[in-house]
Amino acid sequence: MPINEPLTQQVREQARQLLASNQVTCVIGYEKSPRGGARPAFIYDATEADRLIWGPDCFHNLVTYLHDKKTSPRRGEEPPHVAIVAKPCDSRAINVLLAEQQIERERIFVIGMVCEGTQDHTGEVFSRCARCADRVPVVYDVLLGESPEGPSVSVDDVFADLSAVEEMPPSERLSFWLREFDRCIRCYACRQVCPGCYCTTCMFERDDGLWVDIGIELPQKHVFHLGRALHLAGRCVECDECERVCPMGLPLSLLNRRLVREMETLYDYRAGREESLTPLLFELGEEGSPI
Amino acid sequence: MMVATLNGLQDWLQDLAQRYDLIAPCNVDGHVLYRPVASGDEVLLDYERPELSAKDYFLPATEILLQVEQQGGQVIQEEILPDRKQVIFGLRPCDAHGLAAIDALFLKQDPVDRNYAHHRARTVLLGLACPQMWDGCFCTSVGGAPDDPTHLDVLFREVNGGYGVEVVTEKGESVLEGLTLKERKGKPSPSGADAEKIPLASSQEWRSLFGRDQMWRRHGERCLSCRICTYVCPTCRCFDVADRVVAEQGGVTHIERIRVWDACTSTNYRRAAGGHNSRPTKPGRIRNRFFCKFCYYPEDFGALGCVGCGRCIVSCPVDIDITEVMRDVAGAV
Repeated sequence: MPINEPLTQQVREQARQLLASNQVTCVIGYEKSPRGGARPAFIYDATEADRLIWGPDCFHNLVTYLHDKKTSPRRGEEPPHVAIVAKPCDSRAINVLLAEQQIERERIFVIGMVCEGTQDHTGEVFSRCARCADRVPVVYDVLLGESPEGPSVSVDDVFADLSAVEEMPPSERLSFWLREFDRCIRCYACRQVCPGCYCTTCMFERDDGLWVDIGIELPQKHVFHLGRALHLAGRCVECDECERVCPMGLPLSLLNRRLVREMETLYDYRAGREESLTPLLFELGEEGSPI
Repeated sequence: MMVATLNGLQDWLQDLAQRYDLIAPCNVDGHVLYRPVASGDEVLLDYERPELSAKDYFLPATEILLQVEQQGGQVIQEEILPDRKQVIFGLRPCDAHGLAAIDALFLKQDPVDRNYAHHRARTVLLGLACPQMWDGCFCTSVGGAPDDPTHLDVLFREVNGGYGVEVVTEKGESVLEGLTLKERKGKPSPSGADAEKIPLASSQEWRSLFGRDQMWRRHGERCLSCRICTYVCPTCRCFDVADRVVAEQGGVTHIERIRVWDACTSTNYRRAAGGHNSRPTKPGRIRNRFFCKFCYYPEDFGALGCVGCGRCIVSCPVDIDITEVMRDVAGAV
């Protein structure tokens, strides 16, 4: 598997320093997977820092793990300080969580990585990376890698792939989505991997849910996927992790990015691009809420 | 060895689809899944390992256990079970092995699981041997083999110029009517014999490592708490039960009692009345999942809870690898 040796050394050195100086108790990064690629790793001891790696296989968005670090494992103790390795798309999720007051900036040390795009285990570049022009994270405490001059790629229309579905007549579009949802096994991997999905009890998993019961059937799957997409409007950072982890290959990015485009058209807003104090849908301007 | 020709097999499958509810591996929008087929043409013969096991046809992802009609003080309950015979063709030997593992609890312990027993009794298992071990497979390490006929009714295997047919049970024999077989000399060569063996620790050895918190944290902390591994698993059989109102018409309330797959990896699996969750962390849940397979289930019900199909390995989004855990456990005792 391709490892970027110089950056791997820098990540390890950074982790060693942070852990040895007790600045953080844990570094969330990537390690070599026994299956060949990279996988998430949690380093608690400076002597373990050499497990960390960096390369184009580091495609997971680790920000979802910050939710596990919001409280101390021991009752009565302060939440831990942690460091996290973040690509540009991941860093946008950090901004979203900061705005939603899920994490505290001073407890998170962001090891920002200059990103050239990631690839799957066959070496193919993810479509999310092919249409992404961001090379530098939007928030970081240290930046590793050569910061390029301006975006190294230009993408004409990042939403071009949406049109195939949008141009279908409504009944055909419904059939398309029902056919996709039919394969869903309601494993919730899309929700679990999403940094923006952090409700303690998901409204689609409540024992007393009014809208959807526990059945793994088409109506419940239909409501779940549309509901989840709507709950991410103005919050989705287009990391497409939901689509990557789906064991049944549902094209979930098409749903989420339809709403990303909507928010951009309406409010000129892309979630997490800037550090903001308030989530978009909570903002009240002179004319009231933007919606 | 009895051999059927490809054409003979296809004609027979065509006929089988008319006579029974036929389930077989098909291509569903690019995914190989065991699905009901209306015609023999849909049946795949050249495929790796279907992405989901066949447990859905014995322990459906959602099954209606009971239909209830309530009118005033009067309550009518009706249990419904399909009565048609079901034939699964192209079942991989590991999936049949998985059913044997579920049998250990649902059939061999009291009380017998009524619905599961019904589906088992009405189903004929026609296996198709894997020509090789696929990515992630380790069936030969946990008592199986790519061409193991043990838990099947009939085992088919691709041989030069056709399909070898090994009848295992009378139940299997009964559906072969119409399939032309010719005797041929020689025996098929076994497959998977040279596959690498993953060390298998005893349940006692597993027990001795329960308190290795560091080790379980290392394996479990990256878990997403999704349900992929348990839902793709041919032996995971946990379920939840709920009642739902489906219609209210003319003073009559129609209620269904459903049974739905559940997963020990999910956050709230262990949540009890009052809200306490006795397994609140990812490492704790991951440890439980592996202990269930290699310690609790074998001790309590006499069967391993893993058949080495490898689905959980290839489908885990964060590369939690059951064989890595098995090696670690065997290496640590």
